[in-house]
Amino acid sequence: MHARFGGVVPEVASRRHLELVVPVLREALAEADTELESLDAVAVTQGPGLVGALLVGLSAAKAVAWANRLPLVPVDHLHGHVASLYLQHEPVEPPFLCLLASGGHTLLIDVAEPGAFRVLGTTLDDAAGEAFDKGARLLGLGYPGGAAIDRLAREGDPAAYDFPVARVSGLDFSFSGVKTALLYAVRDLSDDELERRRADLAASYERAIVSALVARTNEAAEQTGAPRTAVVGGVAANSELRAALPDALFAPLPLCTDNAAMIASAARYTEAVPFPGYLELDAYASG
Amino acid sequence: MLTLAFDTATSVATSALVRDGELLGERSSRAVRVLADAEELLGHAGAEPGELTRVVVGTGPGSFTGVRMGLAAARGLAFALGLRLAGISTLDALAAGAPGALPVVDAGRREVFTLVDGMPAAVAPDSLRLGPGATCVGDGAVRYRDVLEALGARVPPRESELHVPRARFHVELAHEFVDPEAVEPLYLRLPDAEQAR
Ligand SMILES: [Zn+2]
Repeated sequence: MHARFGGVVPEVASRRHLELVVPVLREALAEADTELESLDAVAVTQGPGLVGALLVGLSAAKAVAWANRLPLVPVDHLHGHVASLYLQHEPVEPPFLCLLASGGHTLLIDVAEPGAFRVLGTTLDDAAGEAFDKGARLLGLGYPGGAAIDRLAREGDPAAYDFPVARVSGLDFSFSGVKTALLYAVRDLSDDELERRRADLAASYERAIVSALVARTNEAAEQTGAPRTAVVGGVAANSELRAALPDALFAPLPLCTDNAAMIASAARYTEAVPFPGYLELDAYASG
Repeated sequence: MLTLAFDTATSVATSALVRDGELLGERSSRAVRVLADAEELLGHAGAEPGELTRVVVGTGPGSFTGVRMGLAAARGLAFALGLRLAGISTLDALAAGAPGALPVVDAGRREVFTLVDGMPAAVAPDSLRLGPGATCVGDGAVRYRDVLEALGARVPPRESELHVPRARFHVELAHEFVDPEAVEPLYLRLPDAEQAR
């Protein structure tokens, strides 16, 4: 849906959320072969994210919970991503270090227990997935950019270009510089040259982003002494990242991109708000 | 027949509870509070959500986010209770609360949502054609009082209750009840990204 605009347009996303909010409830209940009457609680993302979209989900969830005076569990979206790891056949047991990389976030998280998470580092500008999307646009590839770059990169030489990723202090990330480097490289090429070098550019760009993610993740693992590293979020689907972190645990592919199963998973470790305390609950845009 | 109505499209959210044509209570607050208001209204009537038989919602036009919050809550509630839903234009409800007046809702970007030849539209306030002795109500009328008065219209004082939608009028106007998803928001504008294309 967002392919047409080359990214997520808040107003478009929010309109779509409203169209789908009841149909997805119907579908989930049907697929689980259950009914509203047998629910014990309603879990919903409270933030962070696009506030217009969050408020659609939150309003509907409050109404559904209120109708049956059920408790409401307001879940943090980032916690949800971490909790996607608890939905596998052999759930990952804390403590572990978690790299969350998606279109909206790039975070290193220390997970001491299932309900708790402590952010160690974050991106100072673009998220890793956003860097992939913007790079894909510069290369004339489709949306979502991560998958398009990943596919094309397999045919290219990752050492063809040297795209430096800024080293910022602590355990934070910065991806705006690498995007600018790609912009300059593309700008210097004629249309024919770009056509010929596109795969090399994609491979080098992907390598630069992935190396930055891996380097920081390894530093964080050393600092925290975490026995395991896990990777979640849309960028966890990237094949180069998977290859570069052979010992890490990756979220199951269908649970890498945003999904409601991970929110329900996180709800198990989040305090529920009993009726009627949640009726005035508001969404939050940033964490 | 126990009917709950609410409208969160404009800066003041409204909710009302009506039993068989009798207004049991009405509240004004903010969009994020509207279900808390509804719970209070039911509490005073000694009822609970499960006893509702119909839901009415304001469909805008107004703030896009406000319109969606109302629709999402109404669809969620109707779905959860297995009820049918009626959608009422916020402009129609405003007009019903101020008979003879033209409803004018602030649309941002130097425009207002109003009725042009009876049809909802987004227009610049100074482009309105107002008949002699016209009265304008709504948060758009308050905001553009100078412009509208210069065009010959009368705008009641800022504190007048005529300027805010009141959900009792949504109930009065609600005759057609349908499946929750069949009630559509009244945006009157494309998203920016679509407009730019
Ligand atoms: Zn996400």
